[in-house]
Amino acid sequence: MQLKMFVLSGAAVALWLVPLTALDKRIGWHKSMQGVTLCAAIACAVTAGNIARKQAEQNEIEEIKTRAITADVVDEIATSAYISQQQRQQEAEQILNPREHLERSLVLTYGEDERSKPIAQNQLAEPEQNGSENGESERIERIHQLQAKGWGKAKIILEIWGVTKGGSPKYKAAKAEYKSLWPPPPPPFVFDRG
Amino acid sequence: MRAMYLANYFVAGCIASSFLGWIASLHPTSFRAIVFLGAAAFVIWVLCWLLDYSVSNLLKITVSSLQAFLLAMLAAIAIGAGVFLCS
Repeated sequence: MQLKMFVLSGAAVALWLVPLTALDKRIGWHKSMQGVTLCAAIACAVTAGNIARKQAEQNEIEEIKTRAITADVVDEIATSAYISQQQRQQEAEQILNPREHLERSLVLTYGEDERSKPIAQNQLAEPEQNGSENGESERIERIHQLQAKGWGKAKIILEIWGVTKGGSPKYKAAKAEYKSLWPPPPPPFVFDRG
Repeated sequence: MRAMYLANYFVAGCIASSFLGWIASLHPTSFRAIVFLGAAAFVIWVLCWLLDYSVSNLLKITVSSLQAFLLAMLAAIAIGAGVFLCS
């Protein structure tokens, strides 16, 4: 297509200039030949222009397509990077909190199937018995996390020990354990003028 | 490629103005007709320069594109007529 365009352009220029310079205007058939070649030259130039215009439009479309594909690829890479970052963050959270991780994995593994409940409870109980040394540090860490979220004492006790606020011995024991694990902040300094 | 198609249309304009000169050389009546046509085209050309913002809105092109088109038209007519007269 480009070759055709170049040939037509060259032909247009040649048909325009050669007859005008080479032929004599005073001779009748020369003059008529000049008119014919000028008409042909106009046709060639317009055709070549149309071909070039179509090619230019196609090139623009190709450029737009290339830009769209590049943008898609960049977006895909950015999305995958964002997702992988989220996954890493979730994995890190799960590693920091093994009890929750175990609970979640059990729920995911067994779902709401009633037959699996005893197995799940056994599996939950095992780490509690075995890891009594780690229990305290895990609870302290959990208290840290919940306090960072802005939770109150009663809510934290309910979350960790599963006891509602009241005068029950279980709540008192849980409260004592909470105090032992999480000492309250020192009282604010009061300036005594006396 | 954009430059190529603009150049081709420019060459077509040059050849067209040479062709008009050739028509003008055929007969005194055709000469007068071409002179009248040229005068009318010149008046329209000047009006386009004076009313460039309105004309560009009408043709839905930018003002700079219209001005470039008018200058290219003048150059094409000058080149075409010059080639015909000098040959």
